[in-house]
Parts: sequence; structure tokens; C-alpha cells
Amino acid sequence: MKRMMNMNRFINIRRIWAVASKEWLEIVRDRLFFALSFIVPVVLMLLFGFGLSFDVENLPFAIIDRDNSALSRDYAFQYINSRYFDFKGYAFDQRDLDPLLTDNKLRMFIVIPEHFQKQLLNGRPVTVQTHIDGTYPFRANTAKGYVSAINHSFSMSLMTGHFSKRYGLRPDNVQTILQPVKLGVRYLYNQSLNSIWSVAPKLIMAILLISPPFLTALGVVREKESGSIYNIYASTVSRLEFLIGKLSPYVLISSINAVLLFVFARFLYGAPFKGDLLFFALATVLYVICTTGIGLVVSVFAKTQVAAMIVSAIVTVVPAALYSGVIIPIPSLSEYAQVAAHLLPAMYYTQIVLGSFLKGVGLAALWPDVLILGIYAVILFLAGYLLFTKRPRA
Amino acid sequence: MGCAAVVKESGRSPKAAVSVARISGFVKKYRQNVAVRNLDLEIHAGEIYGLIGPDGAGKSSLIKAMAGVLSFDQGTVNLFGTNIDSEKSAEIVKPRIGFMPQGLGLNLYPNLSVEENINFFASLRLVPADELARRKQKLLSVTRLDRFKDRPMKNLSGGMKQKLGLVCTLIHEPELIILDEPTTGVDPVSRRDFWSILTDLLREQGITALISTAYMDEATRFHRMSLMFEGEVMAKGEPDDILNLVPGTVVSLHADPQARAVSRLKEQFLQVESLGSTLRVFVENKLPNAAVQAVVAALDGIGIKDIQPAAPELEDVFVALLHQRHLTDDAPDCPQDSLSGPAALQPVTLKPESLNPDALESDIAIKAEALTKNFGDFCAVDKISFCVRQGEIFGLLGANGAGKTTAIKILNGILTPTSGYGQVAGVDMRCAGKDIKNRIGYMSQLFSLYQDLTVVENIRLYSGIYGLSRRETRERIAWVIHMAGLSGYEKKLAGRLPMGVGQRLALGCALVHRPRILFLDEPTSGVDPVGRRRFWDILFKLSREDGVTIMLTTHYMSESEHCDRLALMYAGRIVADASPLEMKEALKNDAGHLLSVLTGQPLVALKQLEKSGFDGVALFSKRIHLLSKDPGAAEKTIRSVLGRGRIDVVDIAERPLSMEDVFVYRVLELEKGEKGLEA
Amino acid sequence: MNHSIPSVDHRVSVWCRKLYVLTIKEFLQLFRDIILMVFIVYAFTLDIYLAGSGVSLQLNQASTVVIDNDHSAASRELIHRFRPPYFHLDKEIASGRKGIAQLDKGDEMMVLDIPPRFQEKLLNGEQTTVQMQVDTTNTVLGLLATSYGENIVGRFGLEAGLSRAGLSSDVLNTAPNIVDAHRIWFNPNQQDSWFMSVTEMLTIISLFAILLPAAAMAREKEKGTVEQLLVSPLTPFQIMFPKVLAMTLVILAGTAVSLFGVLELIFHVPVQGSLALFFAVTTLYIFTSAGIGLFIATIARNLAQVGMLTILVFAPMIFLSGAWTPPEAMPVWMRFLMGLSPLHYFTDACLGILLKGAGMSIIWDSVAGIMVVGGAAFCLGLWRFTRQFD
Repeated sequence: MKRMMNMNRFINIRRIWAVASKEWLEIVRDRLFFALSFIVPVVLMLLFGFGLSFDVENLPFAIIDRDNSALSRDYAFQYINSRYFDFKGYAFDQRDLDPLLTDNKLRMFIVIPEHFQKQLLNGRPVTVQTHIDGTYPFRANTAKGYVSAINHSFSMSLMTGHFSKRYGLRPDNVQTILQPVKLGVRYLYNQSLNSIWSVAPKLIMAILLISPPFLTALGVVREKESGSIYNIYASTVSRLEFLIGKLSPYVLISSINAVLLFVFARFLYGAPFKGDLLFFALATVLYVICTTGIGLVVSVFAKTQVAAMIVSAIVTVVPAALYSGVIIPIPSLSEYAQVAAHLLPAMYYTQIVLGSFLKGVGLAALWPDVLILGIYAVILFLAGYLLFTKRPRA
Repeated sequence: MGCAAVVKESGRSPKAAVSVARISGFVKKYRQNVAVRNLDLEIHAGEIYGLIGPDGAGKSSLIKAMAGVLSFDQGTVNLFGTNIDSEKSAEIVKPRIGFMPQGLGLNLYPNLSVEENINFFASLRLVPADELARRKQKLLSVTRLDRFKDRPMKNLSGGMKQKLGLVCTLIHEPELIILDEPTTGVDPVSRRDFWSILTDLLREQGITALISTAYMDEATRFHRMSLMFEGEVMAKGEPDDILNLVPGTVVSLHADPQARAVSRLKEQFLQVESLGSTLRVFVENKLPNAAVQAVVAALDGIGIKDIQPAAPELEDVFVALLHQRHLTDDAPDCPQDSLSGPAALQPVTLKPESLNPDALESDIAIKAEALTKNFGDFCAVDKISFCVRQGEIFGLLGANGAGKTTAIKILNGILTPTSGYGQVAGVDMRCAGKDIKNRIGYMSQLFSLYQDLTVVENIRLYSGIYGLSRRETRERIAWVIHMAGLSGYEKKLAGRLPMGVGQRLALGCALVHRPRILFLDEPTSGVDPVGRRRFWDILFKLSREDGVTIMLTTHYMSESEHCDRLALMYAGRIVADASPLEMKEALKNDAGHLLSVLTGQPLVALKQLEKSGFDGVALFSKRIHLLSKDPGAAEKTIRSVLGRGRIDVVDIAERPLSMEDVFVYRVLELEKGEKGLEA
Repeated sequence: MNHSIPSVDHRVSVWCRKLYVLTIKEFLQLFRDIILMVFIVYAFTLDIYLAGSGVSLQLNQASTVVIDNDHSAASRELIHRFRPPYFHLDKEIASGRKGIAQLDKGDEMMVLDIPPRFQEKLLNGEQTTVQMQVDTTNTVLGLLATSYGENIVGRFGLEAGLSRAGLSSDVLNTAPNIVDAHRIWFNPNQQDSWFMSVTEMLTIISLFAILLPAAAMAREKEKGTVEQLLVSPLTPFQIMFPKVLAMTLVILAGTAVSLFGVLELIFHVPVQGSLALFFAVTTLYIFTSAGIGLFIATIARNLAQVGMLTILVFAPMIFLSGAWTPPEAMPVWMRFLMGLSPLHYFTDACLGILLKGAGMSIIWDSVAGIMVVGGAAFCLGLWRFTRQFD
């Protein structure tokens, strides 16, 4: 408080308050703007949350059983009973299925060859052909993994029977011989592999990257476009006072949005929150200040609201989707994309959200990320402060 | 209050004046374009200094640089002894300055109430709460905005917005206020109101003011002024000094045939204007009698009526100065051939009989009967009726928000009336087909050009919209460029044209399909006097030579004199419908003659004359105007009233009534009537 | 006034002339709007390139740390099987605690923990368990890593077991087992860039199909020029149609640039189907989507509002398009909503034509979907557009 008093000559709280409360009233009374500033983030959260699923389940598939034996039916049931696949029926001719694959009616079909049972009972391997729609590569990949797993376990049970008969061993002994090494997998952070748990926290990051710059840039440029910025230019408000006053309502709105998004992630999508709520809240406000700062810098350059919107979209939407770790972890990115990712604040906040929600870690592990966000905020505001002038050229 | 004012007024002597602002060698460029070149200016404490000039004269650039919100390229700007050369130095003087940028209410916050707007400006300036309460109460009552304290600014009328802007600018009691075109787009009644409030407040608090305006007739409001055009000062000094720069006489007369008289006069005189049936000629360097003789001599063989000399106005002087410096654009004057070209659809030659009220029904080009338009609860146009005959120039005169634009939009089919009936060329516009639409032309407010298309592209577009063939299009492009004096501008983007040129291009586009009826909505706002006169020349020719019917709206009172007939609109209603001459006659019968009084202490005299019950008392710089039915008796009363107050009367003279006088009187009368009803 | 009735021929030629000048006008205005042009060029080139080249949803060099408690030939053999492209061995560490700390920080994705006496147990025929700790904050990659890890360990164990039993791995050829034979259709090498770039291109097409007509219309409203058009003998359809036509042509040109210049040239996307069919469907789609833009323009008062409303309409369309999540992975109610998104049909049709070589016989239902949903949007837009001037 005492320092505040000393600062009084440079920063006057009353002027900041005047600018901030005026801005707040303007936002609240522009119904479309006000509604959109809350509706858009929430709508995005709902749509992403429900609509963006990376779980590969219910894959529609068909089987051509050319053997039609007891064993082939047994094999087919391994797929039919799997929750990953959605059995659409048996077919006789591959030519019937090709167009269905093209038409998205099927994502996969399996061809069980003739003499399937006979060959296997005679101790010979059989090749089973799986046809997978590769349009969505990551889905095809996942499907391939499921198929391999089912084939592997079916093979193991066949071989166990085969070897125990052939060498007169107990089946469990055979298993030890065939599988001496087991893999014990521990899923960390998201034991149930619920994809929404990992997506929802990252959505908070992405939405808070897109929405605050948008609102801020529009808000500041609107003042320029209407000409009321001249009140600021002509008055004794200092640049710093103006920027603080002007931006704080947007930080407030975005912070309220952050709370809404948190509530959605936590209670609608049920994502666990294992970290320190206070730490997370403070880090989130810092991140919001950062992204608001992006909007500030955009607004310095943009002359019209349309330009502000377009530039904000370009600088935030692509990075939010690609370089933030929301879909792909940063190490999996190509080299140049990694560089881009490191230059943006999103990636650091991603660590913070994931750390707070799923990993249950706090400042001890995340302090470098917080520090970088802090530096970011300072640089952006400094840039905004230096680029903003009360005595422009035109 | 009166006493304090007297002391201050008499205590102020122009000779000993302290300089508040001193500008020298000022240059402002925007990229390649020079907006202001080499300008010098000095403003003394306590005076109202005016910058007068059309759009693009460089007024705003200078004003913004002085308010410290725009950097400039060369020269010095010195305010209160501080040299403004950086943001830092500008900050030093900003507490002592109040600045109101251009654009009616654009710097205010539309969604905030009147009081919230004032509070915001006050807290920006750290006005203490008790001071704020006191000043707010006073300013709100002076501006009569106290009743609307809680109304959102966006729901205020133009005049109220302007007054609110003034309150916000004065709330921190600055020593110098800088107002950029505060009266543009405001109706004459509000303008007069604004000026009287402003002068009172400035005088009372000893505030210095720098005010820009595009209205030449406001010059008399200033103590001193600079006349600006295209970045340069044409003249500066006291209004009377500037008027004396180009001595001469304005001669007004009626002549028949009018068109021939015009072309004859133009051969000899630089400034010839047709105001409806009146011709107005500026004869330079001649005293009244000699001037009349010169005009009579020039019109040998043409019938002349009602010839009268008068003193020139600032606009005449301004145009003359431009001519002296060859600054009028050198595009060819109106083509002599018929404006619609040889292939005009059924050219109608207007015969004098067709102006006869007993003319046939088929002569009526536009007709409105009890036309009404409601927007929700708001009645924009309230049962208006009128008709316009073929070839007539018909003006709708009224303040912003009086319903003029709505009326014109109903008649040309953009809006559907709530009730009533509008007819154009004998067809109801609600079910007007292509044939009718092909016969009307429309030029909307702001000229509605495609700013990002070039001049030729705009004309070609409109030709195409009206389905002209390639050959016709070529012809019409050539015609429009010739008619509107656009050669040299063909490849320029419409958005980069000077106002006057853009306006003529818009007119050309509206005429490209040779319409028989032309609707013009505020066609001349912001255009310089020379441009406006050229524009009216074209309209006049269209009407007289090609029989095109023209209906237009305007809030320029001086312009309304050009119309054959006028309808005065107030709050959605038509309150008078006659020719300008008839309107003035009617006013003379109702309220009397206009007397202009020059005294030594105009401000005190104003108060005393107001108290003694004269109608229409208003201050024009040093002169006081008032209305009286009996000028002789009035003069005596004035002398005795002022004599009692020991104010010496320099001169009392009768002046011709202007349309502004008519408008202000009629509107004030209506307002009084409404207040009576409310009470 | 004696007007002769103009001939049909004349009327048609006047109609065409009006259409022509108004379309040219739209082009000129668009080309002179530098900001919008920069945005269009960026979107159809760089943006699609970034989307196609930056994203991979495959396990790519998952950074792995190892705790080797055995330090034997066998343990080293197993560890070295975790190699690129799927895994990337970062370093060896001593304790599990340290490993978890690395995962907590997000530096590593996986910890592989080899137990003590690993080799000894293998040689003795005892079962042993290798621990793998996977960061599943990204479930897709977590699952992929697990599945690849299981394959590697299973394969290693089988080979080790067989060799201890004195059998070569050839024995598998004479043992009853199922040999995997995958055939990945349409994208055999599973290039993410193909899918990503095509999807992004379709997204961009949709964005502009809505935004450009809306912006063109809102600009006329904002500048007041629309009144000039209303006073003229143009019908509302004549006012609207040239805008849609010009914008459709611009978007088609952009599509051609990104298809030939980015998709084919840089990402080597094999265009399997008929280009003519692709452009025909795209034209139909852009045209019908313009209705949504016109609808927006009737609500918005200025360009800024157009921008905001476009986002509000556009975001749901993307997520309901099925490009990111196919219908089968969505809840039932979302599947129903997908039916309302014209982009869903468009995505189906275009992925079909471009990547799968589908012809009209296969995509007819998607085309019908575009016609019905898009047509409805277009009619709604036209209806509102005509109505707004009353």
C-alpha cells in the first residue's frame, strides 16, 4: 500500500478505475459483445469436449469367412465381442465390401481364408488379411494395434494347446516358455485412459489462448475506430494507467471464463483435479494476462475491428491447435514446429494445466513454466506500452 | 453573473492580450500528402478563435496537433509557453486543455448514460467529488440536459449530443478549449442554442477557445479567425477585416428568361448563383449603385425585376479569394449542351404554366398523402402530404432526426410506409416495377459511392446496373466525366477524391440512366462553397433545361434558397410548405422585420434586449439580431432600453430575412407550443 | 410514356450485363481489400501447409528413460529394441523416483524399468516382468506406446523362450498361429499430412464460403451503398447472386491453388478420384453455404459483428463435420446434429473423391445431403435477405 502511495505520481488508482469501470459498462451494455464473450468459450468447450474424441471405439467392420468352420467362427467372435469393434455382418465377396469401405459404411473388414481351421489344426500358420480404411491415419493405426493384439492372444492360445499336445507339457509351462517376459504397464495420471480427462484441461488452455486476444483486440480497436480514443490521448491519463484500466475488464472476463471452463472440465467431464487450486488459479490469471497481452499487441497494429479479428485469428488459432501440445505432445512435433511451440506461451501453460489436473504437481515442478509465462507477460505489456502512443502520426 | 461578466469584458483589451498559443511554420504530412503547409497562428487569452474552411482544409490536423494528440512534421506549436514537440511536453499542458474531436458525439460512449459520460471525463481528470457535483449540476442546467441525466447517450438528439460533448470537455475547467467542428450536422436551432451557451460559459469563466467550422455563416461568432483552404491560410484577422479584403456588392434580382440571364452574367462576373427564381451576383470593387448599374448593363434586353444590392457575405469573399489565387478547380464549366444528352427519354421543356398551381394532375411527379412511418413506438414520419410538379426543385428542410431521410426513403421505395400513400410518376412505390425504378435516380447521404472503385469503375457499374449496353455505357461515361468535371480523376479511387468531386461523381452516377426524377439526400454536406455552387449549377440546368424533377433534403439553410419550393419538417411533420420567398413573407407578417443592432457592449445589450421582450434575439459576433413588426417603433424602444443601460448604439439597420431566421422562428414557436401543452 | 415491350433476347442480354458488371465489381472490391486478400492467400497456402506438416498423431520418437537394474546382455538387447521411429531412448537413470519426476515435469513420456536378475530368470525359464510407466495425459499416444511396447516385449520374450527350448524362431512357421497381414487402404504409408491438409483445406473453404458473402453484404450495408442498389431496378436475387458468384469463383481459385500447389506438390497427396467431380461438389457446397453467410449479413450491422457471428456458426460446423471425430465415435445426439452440418456431407464427399477415388455412385448421398441442408440454408438466407428491406 505504501509503495502504491509513492507510485501515485505515475499511477493514479482513480484514473485506472475510471477507465476500467467505463470499459466494463460499455462491454456489459453491448449485449452482443457481452454475450459472445461468454458464449463463445463455453460453446467451444462443449463442442470440443463432446465432439473431439480420440477414443477409437465402435469401429464398424465386417467379416468374410471363407472357411465357415467352428474355429473360424470362434476367431470371428474375438472381434465381434470386442468393444472396440462394431460388427456389421458377414459378407461373401470382397467386391461387395470395397465400396462400403469407400463410403464410410465400414472402417475395416477381415478376410478369414479357406482351410483356416484345417491348417491351424495341422499346426500350420494362417495369414489373415485385414483391410483398414487409412483415411484417418491415427485411427487406422490404432485399429491395427487392436487387430494385432487380438491375433496375438488367439495365436498364443492356439500355440499353447499345440505345444502342450506335442511335447506333453502342462499348458502353463508352455506359456512360460512362450512368454517368459511379461510387460507390466502402469498408466500414470489417467489410469482409466479416459480421453476426455486429458482433453478437457487442455481445452482450457486452447480456449484461453483464443478468446482473450480476440476480445481485447476488438475492444481496443473499437475505441480507435469510433474516435473516442481521443479522449484518452487528450487527457492526462498516462499510458500505463490507460493500459491497465482498459485491459483489466478483459482479464476479468477471461478469468470468469477460466472459472467456467474449470467447472466444465471438473464437473461436466469429470476430469480429476489433483493439484493445488490456489497455485492453479494464480497461474491461470498469469496466463490470461499473457494472452490478453497478445491482444494488446495486435490492437496496436490493427486499425479496424475486422483487421484485429483476422490478425488475432492467425496468431492464435493455428498455434492453439498445433503448437500447444493439445493434440500432439511437443516432442512429437517436427523441428520447426517445436521451435514455434517454444516461442508461444501455450505450451508452458499446457504443462501447468496437465500438472495441476492430472499429475498433481505444483510450483516445485512447474516453476520454470510459470517463470516463462511471467517473462512473456512482461514482454508483451512492455511492447504494448512502448508501441502505444498518445501522440500518433496519423 | 451579469456583473462579473461586465468586469471581465471591459477588463479585456485586445491590445494587451496574453498569447495562449503560438504556432509558426506548421507543416503536417500524411505520407506523401501535405495536409497543412507553413501555417502561423496566434491565439490570445480570452478570445474565441475560429478556423473556417471546407473539408480537407487541414483544420483537423492543426487542431489535433494543438491538442497534443497528433505529431507533426515541421514548425513549432507553443501552448502556455510550453513547446509541444513530444508526448512528454504535450502531457504538461494537457491539464489546461479541453479537446472535443470531430464527429457529432463520436468521442462519447453511446451505451453510457449522460451522467456516466460526464463522470468518466471527470474522473479521468481527477475532479474532486464535491467539485464534480457542483459543476455537473451547473453545466447540466445551463445546457438543459438535467432532465436526461439517465438517458443513454445514443438516444440523445444531435443537438443534445453536442451539448453533452461540450459539458464533458468543460468538466475539468480547462483554460483553453479546442473544439473540432462542433456544429457540423446540427440543426440551426440547436446551433444557435449551442453558440449562446458556449459564449456565456466562456465569458463567465474567462476560457479561451479555438473552434473550427465548415459553416461560413458562423464566422460572425468569432473574435478573430483564419480562413483555410487546402492546407493554407487564405486570410486571417477579425471577421470584418476579412470581409473588407474583397470589397464589392451582392446584387440580387429576378430575371426572365432566367437561364439566358445566368449565362450572360457568367461572361462578366465570376460569382453568379441561382437561388430558385432569384439570381445572385457578386460584383467586386463596386459600391451598391454602381454594382446595380453594372448588372443591368450586362442584362440588356432581358426582363429584370426586384433588383437589390446588399453587402457581401463571408462565403462570397471566400470564393472571390479562391478565384484570385486560381484555386478553384479548373474543370470545364457545365457543358452547354443538354445535360441528359441527345438521346434523353422524352425531354420535357418546362413551360412557365407548369409551375401554375392549377396545372394538370399528370404534371405531378411526386405525391405524398398522409405518409406515415413508425419504427416501433417512434414515429419518424407523421402523416405528411405534399406534391412535387415535374421539373420543380423541391426541398425538405429540417433538423437531424426530423424525418427527412425517412420520407425520401419511403418515396424511392427503400422503406415501406406504415400507412398513407406515396406516388412517384403516378405509381405507388410499394408496387413499383422496374420501369419506374429505371426512371428515378437517388443519391443517398454520404454519397454512397463504392470507395474502393475508381471513378470510371463506379460509372460503369451504375451503367450496368441500369442495363445500359456497352455502347451507351461508353457514351455515358464520357458524358458524366464531362458534366461533373472529372477529367484527370478517371483512375482515382472514389474514396480518395476531394469531397466536392466525390459529390459530383455521385450525382453523375445517379444520372447515368437519365432519370426523370432525382432524389438527393443531404447532397452537399461538408462540401466547400465553390463545389456547392457548381453542384447547384448542374441541378439548376437539369431542372430548367431537361425538366428533371428534383427532390432533396438539406439542413443548410442557405442552400434551401435554391429550391423552387420548400417543406419545413419538424418532428416528423411538415409545418410549412411554400416557396422560400413566400415563407419569408409569411414570417414578416407573423413576426416582423429583422433588425441588426451594433453596440459597444453586445453581451450586456443582449441580456437587456432579451428582457424587454423582443422576438428572436440572438448574437452574431458583435451584432444583435431581433425581429419586430414595426421597425421604426422598435428602433426607438431599442435606443431607449439601451440608453437606460448606458450602452452606446453604433448602428441599427434592417436586414433581409434568411431561411435560417424562418426555420429558427418556426421551430422555436412549435417548441414553445409543445412546452405549453406539457405544462 | 410509350414503352415497347422489350424482346426476350434483349431482356436476357440486359440480365447478363447486370450480372457481369456486378460480379466484376465484387472482384475489384475484394482484390482491393488488402487485409482480406492477405488472409485469403495465407489461409489457402501457408495455413494448409502448417496444418499438414506440423501435425502427426502417430507415436513419433516417444522419449523414454530406462532404469536398467540388470545390466546384462539380455536387458541391453531388450532396451535396444525400443528404438525410432516409435521410441527414442533418452537416457538411463538410477531410480524410479527420478523417472516419475521426469514424467511430472513433462520432459519424458515413458519409463522402462528392467528388474534385477532379468537375464538369469530368462535363462532359468522363470517368468519375469518388465515395468513400463506411461504418461497418459495424452491417451492416444499413451495407448499407442503401450501397444508397441507390448509387441516388442512379446516378440523378445517369444524369441528368448524358443531359443532356451533349443528351437529356432522358424518353429513358428510350423506352429499354428495367425499371421497379421494388414492392408491399409487409401493411405498405405499412413501419411498424416494427407488427411490433415485435405481436412484443413475443406475447413478453409467452408470458412470463406460463409465469411466472404457475409462480409461483402455487410460492407454494402455499412457504407450505405446497398440503398443505391435497392433503388435501382435490381431484384434482391440480382443483388445477391453476383456476390455469391464472385466469392465462389475466388474460393474455387484458392482451392485450386492449395490443391495443386500445396496438397499435390508438397504433400504428394494422390488425387484418386475425378477432379471435375471434386470441383463440381465444391462449387455446389460453396454456393449453398453462402446462404448461411447471407443470413448472418441480415443480422449483423457491421463487419465486426459479421466476424463474431461467423465464428459462432463456424466453430460448431467444424466439430460436427466428422473430420476430427467420425460419427461412430460420437454420442448419438451429436450424430443427429452432424446431419445438420453441411460441412459433414462435404467432408465425406471430398475425402471420398480425393483420397478414396469415390465416384458419384458412392458419394451421391453426401451430395444429396449438401443439396438438402445447404439448399435449405440458401433459401433461408435468400428469404431473410429479401425480407430485411421491408
